[in-house]
Amino acid sequence: MNVLLALIPVSILLLVAAGIAFFWAVDHDQFDDMDTPALLPLLDEPEPPPAPSREPPP
Amino acid sequence: MSASATACWHCGESLPAVDVPQAVVAGVAHPVCCHGCRAAAEWIDQLGLADYYRLRSTPARRASGRTDARRDATDWSRPELARHVVHRLDGDRREAVVLVDGLRCAACVWLIERALGALPGVAGVQVNASARRARITWDDARCTLARIVETLERAGYRALPLDAAALDDSRRRESRAALKRLIVAGFGAMQAMMYASALYLGAFDAMDASTRDLFRWLGLLVATPVVFYSARPFFAGALRSLRARRLGMDVPVALAIALIYAASLVEALRGGAEVYFDSVSMFVFFLLVGRHLEMRARHRAGDLGDALARLAPMFADRVRADGSLERVAAADLVAGDRVHVAEGACVPADGALVGAPCRVDEALLSGESAAVSKRAGDALVAGSLVVQGPARVRVERIGADTVLAGILALVARAQTERPRLAVAGERAAAGFVARVLALAAVTAIGWSFVDPQRAFTATLAVLVVSCPCAFALAVPAAFTRALAVLARRGVLVVRPDAIETLVTATHVVFDKTGTLTDAHLAVERVEVIAGGDPGFAMPGREGAASVAAPPTRDDVVALAGALARGSRHPVALAIAAFSDAAPTCFVERVRAEAGGGLEGVIDGRRLRLGHAAFALRGAAHAAALEDAVVLADDNGPIAAFHLSERLRADARVAVAALRADGLAVEISSGDAATKVAAIATRLDIGTWHARQRPADKLARLATLRADGARVIAVGDGINDAPVLAGADVAVAMAGGTELAQASSDIVLAGEQLGALAGARTIARETLAILRQNQRWALAYNLVVVPFGALGLVPPWLAALGMSASSLVVVLNALRIGRHAETTPAPASLPLEAPA
Repeated sequence: MNVLLALIPVSILLLVAAGIAFFWAVDHDQFDDMDTPALLPLLDEPEPPPAPSREPPP
Repeated sequence: MSASATACWHCGESLPAVDVPQAVVAGVAHPVCCHGCRAAAEWIDQLGLADYYRLRSTPARRASGRTDARRDATDWSRPELARHVVHRLDGDRREAVVLVDGLRCAACVWLIERALGALPGVAGVQVNASARRARITWDDARCTLARIVETLERAGYRALPLDAAALDDSRRRESRAALKRLIVAGFGAMQAMMYASALYLGAFDAMDASTRDLFRWLGLLVATPVVFYSARPFFAGALRSLRARRLGMDVPVALAIALIYAASLVEALRGGAEVYFDSVSMFVFFLLVGRHLEMRARHRAGDLGDALARLAPMFADRVRADGSLERVAAADLVAGDRVHVAEGACVPADGALVGAPCRVDEALLSGESAAVSKRAGDALVAGSLVVQGPARVRVERIGADTVLAGILALVARAQTERPRLAVAGERAAAGFVARVLALAAVTAIGWSFVDPQRAFTATLAVLVVSCPCAFALAVPAAFTRALAVLARRGVLVVRPDAIETLVTATHVVFDKTGTLTDAHLAVERVEVIAGGDPGFAMPGREGAASVAAPPTRDDVVALAGALARGSRHPVALAIAAFSDAAPTCFVERVRAEAGGGLEGVIDGRRLRLGHAAFALRGAAHAAALEDAVVLADDNGPIAAFHLSERLRADARVAVAALRADGLAVEISSGDAATKVAAIATRLDIGTWHARQRPADKLARLATLRADGARVIAVGDGINDAPVLAGADVAVAMAGGTELAQASSDIVLAGEQLGALAGARTIARETLAILRQNQRWALAYNLVVVPFGALGLVPPWLAALGMSASSLVVVLNALRIGRHAETTPAPASLPLEAPA
């Protein structure tokens, strides 16, 4: 049963680490936009947009 | 995203029959409906963001191409105008929250983030699709708010910078806090269950006391944050309802959580028989999941503040003493100022018209479809649209004193006065908890006489085995499932108790314009009158055949359409739309006469389109022409157009279905009696009220309710908002105004009235399942509690029984909507249905 004495603290540590990571993610806007990221893999490699044509036509 | 050839590539609206503009995107020409859409599509392509068209799931909003929007955009560069909306961060950094109208699907979010992110100087863009808000930070030295707003307008969105107070984003804080609570409860519940299963196994394999205690303390360790952090909303809610001297849903829940946790803690401390940290964590987690779903539905429905921002214009053109115009923020106007309102712009403040007459769309007051004529001295209200102008207004009341603000206040008051039903399930659960507590007390007292040693264990067993979990879960489990099923069918339930009220309702009150009809006029019938010049011929149709022939239907439609394109009047718009398929002709010298019609020269002939009196220059005419729009030349009438409002496609079916369901249906409209009567006859509705102002509609509601009726109100307009807020169940159309949606319980996202009858069926099913669940929980408890009280239930069995009874409740709830699944439902739910 001694292995428990090692594994239980590890499980608690992992739990706390997961909790902290999640709180960090929530506070850093990771869950504010749940729609766009799903689209990103569908995109082609973004080409650098042609700089001179940035000005729109009148 | 394959656009069919008949729909605009950008916004999906129907294409004009001739002269279809082409937008060149990624080297391919696509047909679009208007030049606004062409500009938007090509601008998106130039930014290198044409992928938007591949990613989106909903067509874009029709780009307005309005010049005043463009002008508003440039005005944001002036600091004195922008100071209300821009928040200064350190140094040159600035921040603003922009409400983005037309944001419909995830691809829009992507497009906006890319388009703005590519602007030099923009440091951060965060788009919240459900709130339709973008939070933007930029470096003032390299970028301006004006450029940001302009970029959004170019891409086809309407951008409204919100007051700086909006930066204090209460919704964002609320959803973040809820998410954190949920995840803490989830982690805690999983981990507590793991430690508890070791204890349950230990109960069979004679675990030694120190290991058992270790696992108990571990359980305590993970359950503590769940109870003290995650479950805090329940405790706060319970406290609130106790202060208001009610037994709400939160009271039994909070009591159950507190008692089980406290009892388990005592047991752990004194090394007693059993602890229930796993049960309490699971319980909290399940309940939070339900709350979370409910919150998301609520956030989707929009809020009152945003609704006001959409209606009242941000800027006004103040007339200086010398007659020149100066642009000021609408918030800076004072009573006595004179403002100039251009055609197509909104009136910035309440006031009186000075100078030339104009026509304004006052749909926000009356819901009326047609614009009304105003003469000098007449009152104009803030937020109404000048359809034909310009208008010059002497400002009388601004800000909180305007009629518009008054309507908002009416909405807020009606909301607080709404008859709050104590949900039957809540009442039952509260009563049940009271009885369980009494029983637990009896058990404790009884055992203290018989065997004081076992009193605590037996009491705890009664508490846990009879735990109101199944009871408390009976309501949220059924409601959560019902919300999900209804959302899939295009019915967004904002306030869950509406489900119960929906079933008990006895009356449905419909608004007319925009709800039963789709807000546009349509040409119902064209009558060709051969009274015109017999020698008349269509331009470009030279040839012997047509010289002496009377004009054909197609000819008159083409002529009227050509004239009608010269005006934005709703009648003209309807005729122009009707003539889309007809060949175009060239019109010269178009002139609009307010309250009369349009006059122009086509192929050398002077033609008039409008009221009979105007078109015929006061000549005698048949009474049949009185209600029609007449096309005439100098020799007499050529044709008459009969217009009517277009009923929504499913209005008739929906009304019939609701009536078959036993509801009394009536119409309450701000429109004129004749129009309301016509629609009522077509839908076979006996009771209708016309010319109803918001306060009249509320009074009508009060009368109905005084007779014991429960009323479902269905509406879309600003003038419906107070009624919606005061009704037992308020249903708003997703295409309607924000204000109506913000004061409603249910939003019809698919714009399908027919979904309402279906929603009632689901609601009825939900209540049936809910009652089953409660009966099951009661029966289970009646069987088990006596054993628990006698001390015959081992603790692991008590916990198992509790989990199993809760599981049965949840599984039963999943049956809701299973029969209804076969009916076709909208494949995906757009954030905002096309307006």
